[in-house]
Amino acid sequence: MGRRRSLGDLSYGLVIGTLATLALLIIVAPVVIVLTTSFTEGRSLKFPPTGFSLQWYEALFDPSKSRQIHRAVSNSLEVAAWSTGFGMLLGSMAALGIARNRHRLARVADGFFLSPLVLPGLTFGLAALMYFTLIGFRPSLNLIIAGHMIVTIPFILRTTTASLSQLDPALLDSSQSLGASWLYTLRRVTLPLIAPGIFAGAFLAFMASIDNVPVSLFLSTARTDMLPIRMWGMMESTLDPRIAAVSGVLITAAFLLMLVMEWTVGLTRRMRE
Amino acid sequence: MFNRRSLLAGATALGGASLLPSLAYAKGIVTAATYPGSWEEAYRTVVAPALKKVHDIDLELQPLYAVDQIAKVRAARGAPPFDAFVLDPGPRITGIEGGLFEKFDAKKIGNASKLPTGMIDEWGICVGAQVVGIGYNPKKLPKPTSWKDLLSDPWVSRLGITGFQTTFGTVSLIEIAKAFGGSETNVEPAFVELKKVLPKIAAVGNPAAMAGLLQQGQCDITYTNIQTVAILKSRGVDIEFVKPDSGAVAFFTTMHIAKGATDVENAYKYFDTVVSKAVGDALVQPPHNFIPVNREVVLPSSLPMTNLDEMSTYVRHDWSKINPLRAAWIEKFNKEMAK
Amino acid sequence: MKKLAEWQLALPLTLAFASIFLAPLLMLVGVSFFNDDKITEPGFGQWAKFLGDPFSYKVIFDTMMLGLKTVCATILIGYPLALVYLDASPRLQKVLIFVIVMPLLLSVVVRTFAWIVVLGREGVVNTVLMQLGVISEPLRLLQTELGLVISLTQIEMPLMLLPLISVMSRLDPNLRDASAALGASRWRTLFTVIVPLSMPGLVAGCLLVFASSTTAFISQTVIGGVRLIYLPLLIWQQSLVVFNWPFAAVVSITLLISVLTVVSALSWLGRRSGGYVHG
Repeated sequence: MGRRRSLGDLSYGLVIGTLATLALLIIVAPVVIVLTTSFTEGRSLKFPPTGFSLQWYEALFDPSKSRQIHRAVSNSLEVAAWSTGFGMLLGSMAALGIARNRHRLARVADGFFLSPLVLPGLTFGLAALMYFTLIGFRPSLNLIIAGHMIVTIPFILRTTTASLSQLDPALLDSSQSLGASWLYTLRRVTLPLIAPGIFAGAFLAFMASIDNVPVSLFLSTARTDMLPIRMWGMMESTLDPRIAAVSGVLITAAFLLMLVMEWTVGLTRRMRE
Repeated sequence: MFNRRSLLAGATALGGASLLPSLAYAKGIVTAATYPGSWEEAYRTVVAPALKKVHDIDLELQPLYAVDQIAKVRAARGAPPFDAFVLDPGPRITGIEGGLFEKFDAKKIGNASKLPTGMIDEWGICVGAQVVGIGYNPKKLPKPTSWKDLLSDPWVSRLGITGFQTTFGTVSLIEIAKAFGGSETNVEPAFVELKKVLPKIAAVGNPAAMAGLLQQGQCDITYTNIQTVAILKSRGVDIEFVKPDSGAVAFFTTMHIAKGATDVENAYKYFDTVVSKAVGDALVQPPHNFIPVNREVVLPSSLPMTNLDEMSTYVRHDWSKINPLRAAWIEKFNKEMAK
Repeated sequence: MKKLAEWQLALPLTLAFASIFLAPLLMLVGVSFFNDDKITEPGFGQWAKFLGDPFSYKVIFDTMMLGLKTVCATILIGYPLALVYLDASPRLQKVLIFVIVMPLLLSVVVRTFAWIVVLGREGVVNTVLMQLGVISEPLRLLQTELGLVISLTQIEMPLMLLPLISVMSRLDPNLRDASAALGASRWRTLFTVIVPLSMPGLVAGCLLVFASSTTAFISQTVIGGVRLIYLPLLIWQQSLVVFNWPFAAVVSITLLISVLTVVSALSWLGRRSGGYVHG
């Protein structure tokens, strides 16, 4: 009996370990390739890169050489921040409202709120442009924010709903039967418990907005150039290594951001709770 | 409503980006679509300063492919997001048929006399010529000589092809069809021949991926614009351009005023600047390698033609015949190439 | 009173959706019922054309299969990674979270380039395998469905793992210890305790992965090549190359309905298991 169990445990460790390693490999390989390429001495994206230099980072940070990229980065960050902010607010409210509601209408609403994820961005972009011009709006940063919020909110809803459905209803009932107001229960019990879900979704939404091509393509103007669209041009016609450097900067920034969050709010502690 | 920019300043600084440059407004402004990549770069570095200097007009460029420009203006129905188009022959005809252009007034182009005849019509103005042929990696393959070579060994097993969605793809597939007995309106032979060698073909790709595929050796030969080859070569990619023995294909790139444009007069000044000698002289130089239409511009030997009159020696196509057939060709390409 | 208040929380989003999403969507549905690309002649012509072509069904099927294969692949390697995360020390967990979100930090533009490098004929995988003597001829990985699924797995991993981990890490560790103390093997604990309890996260992950891989136009065409035809390619061709918007609308609505059907099925399963967990 004991022998069989240890054999089973051995195979468990082996199988899970191997698959997890494969997962890590698949996740990391492209990142390593892009980062390596960003330090190339050559004039185009090529792997393996020739030599080592920081010239593409220098070019990327140089305002005179990369003004357009800076403009696009600033637009993209602005759009992502606002669309994610509104998305968190509206999305978590809606999740609280319908996740635990078994009424059929709530189920319909749930599916409805998920559909932007399913509608190809290209289609939504085109349809949104037709619609907005029809009702008298011209493309602008605000329209892009609205469009991005719609296509990224399903991430927030999904992860928040998942957290909520795991919440023990007895917990809420007991809080309220102890006389706590609905708002108090929300603030002291529900929100802390679902916060990891909201943040996980918000992160996905933020990055999806930063990387959105189709909605931006249709709703942007000459003034509202967005980062991924700019990068497409650089990739397609010139294989410009700066697009690898952009990723290098993004990864470094995210790393620093995580460190900061770790120190200040203990992000991962919350995620584990 | 909100002070978004100040709020974002911190995040932006983290991303290493400078704040939005504050634009000093000049006498006027014109918003023009331009192709992403090499075109945008050239127009930003050459045309924009010239327009500012001569007419005191700020040029706002919006990088969009021809088809994206048409789609946006169609969707915006009468409220175009930009004043000026830049288009290939196919989308140009779609634009004319869709009523997306304002009528063009040739009298407003001061440089008109310096252009060959026929460069301006009622819908727009030609600003340059483009040449399509074969791009290949000379380190891996012998030099091909004809369109037929693409479909035979040793080239075919290193060949990357693209479909009818781009101008260069369409004209190249037509030329391949012609090499096997087809014509401008009959690409059937190209399908038949491609199908025979399909298992050998190295890549059937999205045009946007071709540069990457060539660079990494997934394929070593494809049909493409000469300008694309020149730019990749200047960036150290192993690639050479070949004119097939039946002739390379040439077509004109044209500019148009979007229907409902807000800055029509400035758009004319923009076009006039684009076809001026000074701008042309700068655009023919590497890394731009444009072929401008102004007769006074001396074309350097690095370009595929020394004189615009040579256009007549290139293969030309009648896009008014091609355009109606294209949707069916695209569908056919899907079905014939599908796994 | 309480029920009403909760329900009302969804109102702002409903309003936003109605004005920014539903209206364009209805417009799209309207457009699909026009016969010509100038949108002047109403009729069912485009639907008849699409639904009357056997090729359309192949494309719909292939698209759904691509989504399912990607979901399976992502679970197969993603779930074990989540288990490793669960057992890891807090320090290692921080590192793992950072690694897991990394794919999101690579723009789709450079990501496609990276996969050309990995899967290409002269790419990393082929070079390694050839040097090890496993193969003599380069494998065709790029522009195959296998290669496409592998590359999609990478970008979908965070979508699967973030919901999964946020649910899993709240499981009571005592449950596993109890299961072990009762003599269950680790396999048995996994399938009878951990998997059922992590179901809400798993389902949320599956939904996101399925929806995002079926609509991932850029990866599909750049890494899969255009010989693998999925619905987004048709939409792109019809809307941006030949400008037949009614037809593009038909294909878009078909994609929307197909994906929503699969997603609702998954969602239904998820709710059932959620109900099961809390008895």
